[in-house]
Amino acid sequence: MSEFRSPDTQAIPGLRLAGLRKSFGKVAVDGLDLSVRAGEFYALLGPNGAGKTTTLRMVAGLLPPDEGSVQIFGVDARRDPVAAKRITAWLPDEPMLYDKLDPLEYLEFVAGLWGVEPKRAQDSAVELLEVLELWPHRHELCEGFSRGMKQKVALAGALIHEPKLLMLDEPLTGLDAAIARQVKDLLVARCRAGASIILTTHILEVAERLADRIGIIHHGKLIAEGTLAELREVAGQRNSSLEDVFLELTRPMERAA
Amino acid sequence: MSFEPGSFAWLVAHDLRLGWRRFRGIFGSLRARTIAIIIVVGVCLFHAIAWPIGQWFAGLDKSADTARLYYPALASAALFVMPWLISQALTNSTRALYSRGDLNLLFASPLPSRNILAAHAFAIAVESLGSVAVLLVPVVNMNAWFGGPHWLAVYPALLASAFFATALGLCLTLALFVMCGPRLTRVIGQVVATIIGAGFVLALQIIHVLPERLRNDIISSIDHPQPGSLFDRHGPLWLPVRAAAGQLPDLLLWCGVSFGFFALATILLGHRFASSAIRSASASPARRAERKRRTRIFRAGLATSLRTKEWRLLARDPWLISQILLQVIYTLPVAIVVWRSQGDEGSIGISVAPAIVVIASQIAASLAWLAISSEDAPDFLATAPVTRQQVERRKLEAIGLPLMMFLALPIVGLALYSLQVAIITAIFCVAASASTALLNLWHPMPGRRVQVLRRHSQSKFVGIMEHMLSLFWAVAMVLAALGSALTVLAIGAALGVLWFNRPRPPAQYVRIIR
Repeated sequence: MSEFRSPDTQAIPGLRLAGLRKSFGKVAVDGLDLSVRAGEFYALLGPNGAGKTTTLRMVAGLLPPDEGSVQIFGVDARRDPVAAKRITAWLPDEPMLYDKLDPLEYLEFVAGLWGVEPKRAQDSAVELLEVLELWPHRHELCEGFSRGMKQKVALAGALIHEPKLLMLDEPLTGLDAAIARQVKDLLVARCRAGASIILTTHILEVAERLADRIGIIHHGKLIAEGTLAELREVAGQRNSSLEDVFLELTRPMERAA
Repeated sequence: MSFEPGSFAWLVAHDLRLGWRRFRGIFGSLRARTIAIIIVVGVCLFHAIAWPIGQWFAGLDKSADTARLYYPALASAALFVMPWLISQALTNSTRALYSRGDLNLLFASPLPSRNILAAHAFAIAVESLGSVAVLLVPVVNMNAWFGGPHWLAVYPALLASAFFATALGLCLTLALFVMCGPRLTRVIGQVVATIIGAGFVLALQIIHVLPERLRNDIISSIDHPQPGSLFDRHGPLWLPVRAAAGQLPDLLLWCGVSFGFFALATILLGHRFASSAIRSASASPARRAERKRRTRIFRAGLATSLRTKEWRLLARDPWLISQILLQVIYTLPVAIVVWRSQGDEGSIGISVAPAIVVIASQIAASLAWLAISSEDAPDFLATAPVTRQQVERRKLEAIGLPLMMFLALPIVGLALYSLQVAIITAIFCVAASASTALLNLWHPMPGRRVQVLRRHSQSKFVGIMEHMLSLFWAVAMVLAALGSALTVLAIGAALGVLWFNRPRPPAQYVRIIR
C-alpha cells in the first residue's frame, strides 16, 4: 500500500476528529482524537461495543456528537453538514437499499441525491456494475438478492459519487473470495486516487493486508495507533499476527473493565 | 402454567403469548396496570351501551312471538359475525404464510407440521373471536340479564363459529395459494378478505337498490319462509342460528361440526401449509417487463430522483396499494347508507361527496406516512448532501400524483351528477389531503411499510387528530355544498386542529432516524 500514498505531502487531513464524545447514558465515544490522511487506508478495530460504529455514524452526520469536532477534508461537518456529506460516503454493515428498486435505478437515485451529472453517473454505474459482476442482474429488484449481492449494490452506491472520504463498516461480510478481492482492488484504486478510506472489520487479515495504519479503539478511546510494525512494538510481540497484537492490546482493558 | 416443551398446548401458549404482546403493542408503552384499567373501563362502557338494547329486546320479547323476533335478530348477527370471522381468519392465515415470523424456526424444528399449524390456527381463532366478542358479549350479557339465561347459548355457539371460520379461512388461503401462486395470493387474499368482511353491509345496501317487486318478494320470503328454502330456519344453513338460540341438539351439532372441521383442516392441511410457507419465502421476484431490458438514460436532479423513487416503490407493491384501497372499500358502505337514508330526494352532495373527502384525507395520510415515516433507508437519506426539509418537500410532492389517480374517477363521476358539487369536493379533497399529509410530516411515526393500516398503534393521538381533520373537512364540504355560512366554522375547526398540531421547536421532534 505504501507506494500508493504520499501522506506527508497532503496538508489537509481527509478526516480529523478532535475530542469527539458521545454518550447514551453510558459513554460510547470518549474524547476521541483521530486523524486520517488524504489517500490513506485506515483500519479501525475494536471489540464489540467499542464505539466504532457510533464514531462512523457521527462522521456520517447520523448522530450529533455531544462534544468535539469533525473535519472532513477541511470542511467542518458540524457547521456545514451538507458540504461535508457531499464528499463523504458511508457503507454500513447492513446495506441501505430499496427492495423494490433494481441496481440501476438505485444508482440513478443515489446519483440524483449527490447531484452527479447524469451522463457521468450512468457511465460510472455501468462500470461499477460490471466490475462487481452485477450487470446481468441490473434489471432485477434488490428484494431477490443475496446479502452479498445487496452489499455489492450498496458499495456501488457509495462509490458512484466518487467520495473523498469513504467509511466502510464490515464491507466484506457476505462476499465470496473472488468478489472480496475485486472490492479490495476497487478500494485500493480509490485510495490511489486520493480518497481516504476508513474501514472497520472483524477480519483482521483484511486490516493487516490493506491498511496503511491501524487504530484500535476500546471503551470509546483510541488505545493504540500506527502501522502493524508499530503496533507489534507497542504490544511487545515483534513477530506476531495482528490478531495476537489486537488481543494483547485489548486484554488489559477487558481485565480493568 | 408450564406445558411440556413441543406439545400442542406449549405451542398454543407460545402463539397466544405473541398475540397478547401484539395486542399490548396497540397501547404503546402504557403500563400493564393502565392497560387493565382501560380494558375494564371499556368493558363497562360497552355494557352500559348494551343496557338499553337488552331492555328494549326484553320488552319486545314479552309482547310478541319470541321466535319471530329472536331468530331474525340472531340471524342478522350471524350474517355480520361469520363473514367478519372468515375475513379475519383469511387475513391472519395469509399474514402467517408471508410474514412468517417464527414459522421458519418452528418448521426447522423436529415438531410435526400439523401441530404447528393447529397451534397457529388455534391462536388465529382466539384472536378473531376476541375481535367480535368485544362488541357482541356485552349485548349478549345484557340480553341474558333482562331476557333470560337462554341468551348465554350464544357463547358456545360463537366459540364454535370462530373455529369453523378459522378452518374455512385456512382452506380458502391454501386454495388461493394453489390457484394463484405464492406471488399473488397475498394481494388476492387481502382483497377477498375485505370483500367478505364488508360483504354483509354491502349486501344489505344492494337489497335496498333492488327493484321494489324483487325486494318485496325477498322480504315476504323472510317473513313466510317456504320449507327447504334459503330462509327456512329449520334448514342446515340456520344451524349456527339455532345453536345460538340455545337449542341443545343443534348447539351440540354445531360445536361438533365446527371443532371437527377445525381438527380435520389442521390435520390434513398441516403439511400443505408448511410447504406453502416455504414456497412463499422462496418465491422468485416478479419478472420485469422485457422493455425494461434497455438501459434508460439517467435522469437528473434531486426532485426528480426523489419523486421517481417514491412512485416506483408504490407502483411495485400491489399489496400496499390493496391496503390503501381497503380504506376506500370500508368507507363505501357508510356512504351508501347515508345516500339511501336521504330517500329519493337525497343529494349526492351530502352523501357520497363527503365520503370522497374522507377517503382523500385518509389516502393522503397513508401515502404521506409511507413516504416520510416508512422510508426504507432513512440512514442512507440522512447521509446524502441534502437537507431534511428538501427531502420532505419532494416526498410530499411525490404523493400528489398517486392521490390524484385514486380520486380522479370518483370526482369525474360526481361531475356527471353535478359539476358544482364535483368542484367543491375537489377543493375540499385538496384541503383535507394537505392537512393530513402535513400532520404526518409534523408527527412522524416510524414503521415498516406493511404496517400502513396499523400505523396509529404508535400514536393514538395522531390517529385521533387525523380522523378529526377528515371529519371536519367532510362536514365543511357538506355545509359548503348546502351553501351554509357555517362552512367557515367547520373550516376553522379543521384549521384549529392543524394549528394545535403545528411543529414544535426541533428539540421536541421525534426524529425519523431509527
